[in-house]
Amino acid sequence: MSRRLWAVVLVALTLHATGVAAQRPTASEYEVKAAYLLNFIRFVHWPGRASSGPIELCVLGADPFGRTLDSSLADQPQGETVVIIKRLSSVEQARACHVLFVSASEEGRLPRIMAALGSADVLTVSDMSGFAGRGGMIQFVADRGRIRFEVNLPAAERAGLMMSSELLRVARNVRTGR
Amino acid sequence: VAKAAPSTALLLLALVLARTATAQQAPPRQLTALTLEQLGEIEVSSVSKQAEDLWRTPVAISVLTQDDIRRSGSTSLPEILRMAPGVEVARIDSDHWSIGIRGFGDQFSKSLLVLIDGRNIYTPLFAGTYWPAYDTLIPDIERIEVIRGPGGTIWGGNTVSGVINIITRHSSQTRGTLVAVGTGSLDRATAALRHGGGNGRGFDYRVYAKAFNRGPGFHADGARFDKWWMTQGGFRTDVALGGRGVLTLTGDVSDGRHGQRVAITTLAPPGRGPVDGNLEAVGGNLVVNWERPTSADGSIRVQAYYDGTDWRAPHFQERRDTVDIDYTQSRTAMTRHHLLWGGGVRWSPGRYTPTVATLDFVPRNFTDRLASVFIQDQVAIVPERLLLTVGSKFERNNYTGLELQPSARLLWNVGTQTLWSAVSRAVRTPSRIERALTLFTPVVVPTVQIPVFIQLTGNGAVEAESVISYEAGFRRAAGARTSIDVTAFYTSHEDLVSFGRGPTVIETSPLRAVIVAPYLNGLFGTSHGFEVTPQVQLTSSWRIWASYSYRHFDLEATPLNAEMNAVSRYEGSSPRHQVRAQAQLSRHPLEVDLAYRAIGELPARTIGGYQTSDARIGWRLNEQFDLSLAAQNLLQRHHAEFAHDPGPPVEIPRSLFLGLTWTRSPQP
Repeated sequence: MSRRLWAVVLVALTLHATGVAAQRPTASEYEVKAAYLLNFIRFVHWPGRASSGPIELCVLGADPFGRTLDSSLADQPQGETVVIIKRLSSVEQARACHVLFVSASEEGRLPRIMAALGSADVLTVSDMSGFAGRGGMIQFVADRGRIRFEVNLPAAERAGLMMSSELLRVARNVRTGR
Repeated sequence: VAKAAPSTALLLLALVLARTATAQQAPPRQLTALTLEQLGEIEVSSVSKQAEDLWRTPVAISVLTQDDIRRSGSTSLPEILRMAPGVEVARIDSDHWSIGIRGFGDQFSKSLLVLIDGRNIYTPLFAGTYWPAYDTLIPDIERIEVIRGPGGTIWGGNTVSGVINIITRHSSQTRGTLVAVGTGSLDRATAALRHGGGNGRGFDYRVYAKAFNRGPGFHADGARFDKWWMTQGGFRTDVALGGRGVLTLTGDVSDGRHGQRVAITTLAPPGRGPVDGNLEAVGGNLVVNWERPTSADGSIRVQAYYDGTDWRAPHFQERRDTVDIDYTQSRTAMTRHHLLWGGGVRWSPGRYTPTVATLDFVPRNFTDRLASVFIQDQVAIVPERLLLTVGSKFERNNYTGLELQPSARLLWNVGTQTLWSAVSRAVRTPSRIERALTLFTPVVVPTVQIPVFIQLTGNGAVEAESVISYEAGFRRAAGARTSIDVTAFYTSHEDLVSFGRGPTVIETSPLRAVIVAPYLNGLFGTSHGFEVTPQVQLTSSWRIWASYSYRHFDLEATPLNAEMNAVSRYEGSSPRHQVRAQAQLSRHPLEVDLAYRAIGELPARTIGGYQTSDARIGWRLNEQFDLSLAAQNLLQRHHAEFAHDPGPPVEIPRSLFLGLTWTRSPQP
């Protein structure tokens, strides 16, 4: 192929991209993860908590979402559930949360965090490697350009959380303990 | 070709920038309205969390993710590095590369430091990285961080022009089985196998093995000396020790044969001729890393490693065993200070065995020793907004004694913009070659009737090369999809090594004249340049990024320098202009990648500028099988990227590579 033709192909591809931009939804990694977090709330039941109050969604450690989480919440279809986003610097404040996203910045402190939570009914979610194997309940995993998640069911059961079969069906991998 | 390259490249760059403006007006998304299943099908940009953290770092840094690496279609570490902005990669022949950052391109990348999972692969033998001897399983690389500019305050000596930090994936990310096979016109046959698992309670492991056979480059004279075979195996295990931190063990063994043509001098009859042969490289390493958090934002890390290499080439042999122990601790003090400090020792005995009479080291056996401490304080002048980082490394080596490598860096965050500036000092300590080499080269002197040789001679008085570099950078993100990163540098170089003129010795039996040319610190000067990296995520499935880098050297020789082309050798061995543009398109089950690059001329190596292009198509056949076809250097049958000594340049041919990967994730 001639050099000139090749350059034309490259330019054409570049230009073509503009057309695509108008048609397809755009997603960054943390936009997708934020949408998952808000989605998980619909598939988890907290039997030990008041069913009418707001849902507290907390981020522990360096917040990878930036404004994404807040804008995703604003985008969310209107429903009865009120969600409040809190950013925490220490795990001591986390026991009141319904959902706790543990930032990968906390990887080294994970044993301490897990010990502090004990069996509190907090849904723990993270994208740090090995999270579901170290007591976490839901771990995001990158799967060739897509974001999937794994569930550690025994950890959720110990905390008294109930996960819907829909959530478990979609999970890439469900750990069942034995 | 050289003349056409900049205009085409600028056109592409302009297009990429133009798209940046368009993409900002993309409509808002309604991801939250999607079901869990639909979310799982959305393709996301591969900008990792680490990359976002690095965005707020007062350092010129770029990150290549596993996704970028896989989609490049590259099968070796040096080829992967072509993607990093500002890195100058030139393939010398099928199995050798010249890699530089901000100049200093040469086969041994003498001013940049390369780490694989914290293991330093810089060899003190010739001060640099012998690239063909190092590899890893490419799908297991988590990311490659490339830092341009000095990094001596943290990493120590030989981090003058940059750091390349290769980080493999946590073993919990590689559970299951992977089998990858491939064949192509340059990479004749490759095969890799990896298996990983874990107990679900904090213990994970993987083991891998790989082998390849690569063919020679294009030789106008029909030579085929640069063939390359390698087999390698290794493991990684990560163990969470409850409240006592995380223990990581990695290790590899490798055996390779790197075909090469070297020039060997004979004293009688006087001459210098090419010899074809293999460098047989055997390597092994074991790295133990333990990290434990001590407070809310403090930790202790201890790393120890052993790295052994045994290299047998037609013209030299060296056996080296390196043991290195490092300790790092961090903690917050007085709320606004974040302290990082540590120390380390390295012990690296090398044993040289001569194989020809005209190349030797005096002494042959020598142990490199290094001890260092460093401290760095990050002060939040205005928390989250204005950060000052100051620190220094104090390193003692047994060549030049104590070396100081201080730096000060200022970072200013304003919303989605980051401004930073830095001033830092770094040193490159002399190599064994510069201190202890003795190498004969014949010269023709028309008026002299007896054989004349130049004897390149190591010099115990060679001091470390040093730089003081001033850098400034600007990064701006426009929305979640577009960004630009600009870095400029001005560097003052002292004590660059060249050859001096020693005495001429007339030897009588046999009769010959030997002109002694000692290594010495014969050059100084400045360099400056900049790097621009615009990036745009047009949609979830379209990403385009580009980079342009410029650098200029202005060096001078001291009166002691006697190497006529020393200045032009430094100035003209890396391209002044370098452009790269890359597009990634994903549309399940296909992914398409296109890359274009235009590289300026290398006057010192009599290599013209060139432009070429790579392409790759990946096809996900099902949950288990992936097929890919990669084509490299598409724009011409073959082109030269660097000079070869001896003989004409070896050219890099257009090549095709077909790969098939089978992965099986563990079932619950």
